[in-house]
Amino acid sequence: MLIENPLNSEYAFPILECFHIVGFAVAIGSIALVDFRLLGFGLRRQDPAELVKDTGMWVLISLSTAIFAGLMLYSTDPDKYYLNPIFVGKIVCMVLAIVLNYTVHRKAVLPGASRAWGKVVACLSLVLWASVIAAGMFISFVAV
Amino acid sequence: MMTAFAIWFQNLPLFIFLRNSTLAFPVILTLHVLFISVFGAMIFATDLRLLGWGLRKYSMADVIDPLRLPKRVGFVLVVTCGILVLGTKAEEYFLNPFFQLKILLLMLVGVHALLFRGNVYNNAAALDATPEPPARAKLAGAFSLLLWLGIACAGRSIGYINGPVGSHHFAALFSPLTRL
Repeated sequence: MLIENPLNSEYAFPILECFHIVGFAVAIGSIALVDFRLLGFGLRRQDPAELVKDTGMWVLISLSTAIFAGLMLYSTDPDKYYLNPIFVGKIVCMVLAIVLNYTVHRKAVLPGASRAWGKVVACLSLVLWASVIAAGMFISFVAV
Repeated sequence: MMTAFAIWFQNLPLFIFLRNSTLAFPVILTLHVLFISVFGAMIFATDLRLLGWGLRKYSMADVIDPLRLPKRVGFVLVVTCGILVLGTKAEEYFLNPFFQLKILLLMLVGVHALLFRGNVYNNAAALDATPEPPARAKLAGAFSLLLWLGIACAGRSIGYINGPVGSHHFAALFSPLTRL
């Protein structure tokens, strides 16, 4: 017997989307604050390594919120998503961005790391996260 | 009068062009959201510092001052993209209750600025002078956080209401924007 997903209600989807959007805005924006710091913009009075520590908890909580809400959104119509190459691209970019954030990015902010390398990593991080958002937006514009 | 304005606005050549281009709308909407993300995090960082919930090891001035210019740049970018999105179907948006709510909340952002710009943001160093930051700092942070959360949620909700207006007020050929 097929059981209707309760998340397929009139209100669940938009509400979940609000959590998804606020979650990724805070997570990606906070990571971007560190990236811009590495590039020499914004919070220049803070040390990048300290800034990563200070925003680490926000990123973790908001990213988890965005992903959890995202999984629930996905569950409302999996076919619509996993058959869509844009969605697959989004997930690939997101996994790469998360791995980058918790490995290379972590080391690039340390005081000993080279400035130029920090800038390269910052650009890569910004491009990857921007791709995640852009692909997310385009999922609904590209019918499959 | 608002309807007349909306019809005039959405039929400006720029918006006719945007409406008829398949790529323009999703690209502008994507830029709108990208800029929101960066702008939102700067607001979030400032508000959390004002509330004393985050970045506490830095002084108020060290968090608030360096973000003022980037926040302004971010705001201009977000609003510019927002106006471009609005222009593609102004008449529909003006009648959308969530759009109206969003505009109302944006006006309250103006009220927030009137209340707190002079005594909080223009003089962040003064907030660091006392061991316990003044109540107005927390009030400014809380008010701002709630307003921007409301704006984000109202903004997302706009798309869930089907416009009561058809395409009959569009001067040029109307191409369905929702699907490429």
